[in-house]
Amino acid sequence: MPTVPIKDEHRVGTEARYKVEPSAYLQKLFESGTPDLSWMKETGQWGMHAKPSGLGLRLKDIEIGSYGVVPERGGKHLSMAPRGSIVPDNVPSLGFTINNKDECWADNVTELYEEAVARQWSSARDIPWDELKPLPDDLERAMCQLCTFLTEVEFIAADAPTRWMSRINQDFFEVKLFLATQAMDEARHMDVFRKRALANGGGLGKASAYSELGLKKIFDAPSFSAQTGRLHLLGEGFVLTIFRQGEFIAPSRVDQEIFRRCMQDESRHVGYGTMHLRAQLKSRPELAEEIHTELDDAERILLEIFSEPESVEPMAVLMGGGIAHFDKGMEMQSQLWRRIVGEYLQRCDSAGLERRPRCLLPTDFAKLVS
Amino acid sequence: MAPKFPEPQWFLALGRLMAARGELFRRIGYVETRFIVRVLPDQDGGNDDGGGEEQNTGVAMQGYALTDAAALAPGAAASFDADFTICARRAVWRRMLDEIARGGRPELRHTLNSLALIGDELWLESADQLREDKFYRFNQSLQELFNLAAELPAD
Repeated sequence: MPTVPIKDEHRVGTEARYKVEPSAYLQKLFESGTPDLSWMKETGQWGMHAKPSGLGLRLKDIEIGSYGVVPERGGKHLSMAPRGSIVPDNVPSLGFTINNKDECWADNVTELYEEAVARQWSSARDIPWDELKPLPDDLERAMCQLCTFLTEVEFIAADAPTRWMSRINQDFFEVKLFLATQAMDEARHMDVFRKRALANGGGLGKASAYSELGLKKIFDAPSFSAQTGRLHLLGEGFVLTIFRQGEFIAPSRVDQEIFRRCMQDESRHVGYGTMHLRAQLKSRPELAEEIHTELDDAERILLEIFSEPESVEPMAVLMGGGIAHFDKGMEMQSQLWRRIVGEYLQRCDSAGLERRPRCLLPTDFAKLVS
Repeated sequence: MAPKFPEPQWFLALGRLMAARGELFRRIGYVETRFIVRVLPDQDGGNDDGGGEEQNTGVAMQGYALTDAAALAPGAAASFDADFTICARRAVWRRMLDEIARGGRPELRHTLNSLALIGDELWLESADQLREDKFYRFNQSLQELFNLAAELPAD
């Protein structure tokens, strides 16, 4: 076998701070030439034959034997040692703090992970940017302000859950894998709306102090489940409806493709959050009050966001088809407000949270001012 | 005679086109959903080629394929265990399919999502919001499936 050349090889290790003696095992190996091979007998359950489905070998296809059992309590070693492997006694703890399954699990999490991986897209490749045409000034300004809002808020759904991701016991790796896809989705959303704002003669508009407050509250949530209530159930559910509206108001196929693809991604995030809360509330019903308290505050902030012209008016201008049809746009916006609230309450139902009596969001948009 | 919308054979023909366009659907990603297309008679009964009857067709999509399409008798929709039902009057479906035949896709505000968002001409029914959300999770695939109708002979 030819020797792999390494640049300045004679300098390697000349200033090393540690001196490492070869282990007894290595000394024996080099002296005898006989491999140890004891590791061949130290395995988890052996003889597995995971079978791929028609869609390839998915996580659910390897949920077989002991490997398919997700423990109620994660390994006490708190290390990254893979679930189902032989774990040595001396592995260092990474200090995971989310060690119970119900604190992070959702029954659809492996399905959503595989779906996310299969349905990734590229904002550079998959959006027909060359079809973008100049828009009337009012529509372009409204679209750019909407894109500014979405660029501002989207990445919180990567930054915030990944703070907790590093605290989740590695035995619940499926949750971590899903959250990693969510972070990737949000990266793409931030990039695509920034690109759209800069692609058609406009630019970024005005950021929002109320939006920032809402983001900070998500970021500072006291537990993963509390954050899930704020982020996935209300925040992402609300943005999902905005994406659906975006697909509707899109003045071009470029905008329609952007919003439709983002809508697909956001639905997965909402699906995870809803199912996680369902599992969590089933296991610990007393947690409902903490989630309610988070939602009380999150709904209040959402209403404050909707008290600013830069939040209300761009959508109405786009809905109506221009400033000249602003009234029509507001009327459509008020119809859709009912859908936002209705779908949010239905997701609360799905999660097992009876939110109706405590919900701060009026079912009629007009009540925001009365 | 060419199958007519919403006959099962019409959807199975779309499925064959979907298989032929494998790369497009693989690029978008796999799908796992079951849904019902409900065609309601027009209010005025005019130009109603469905005999004035409600028609329900159950459609299953699995992976990159349309795997099943079946006519559902009135009252039998529940047995199909659909994630969601897409409901519209015949004229609304007809308009969408005409636009697809002309331009390869519906007009901007007449996509499946846009119509369902407003909800007056076309709407979704589902017993569970999470299952209804599959309409959004797989929306690009659903719209591309319907857009393939441009390649079917006009009925």
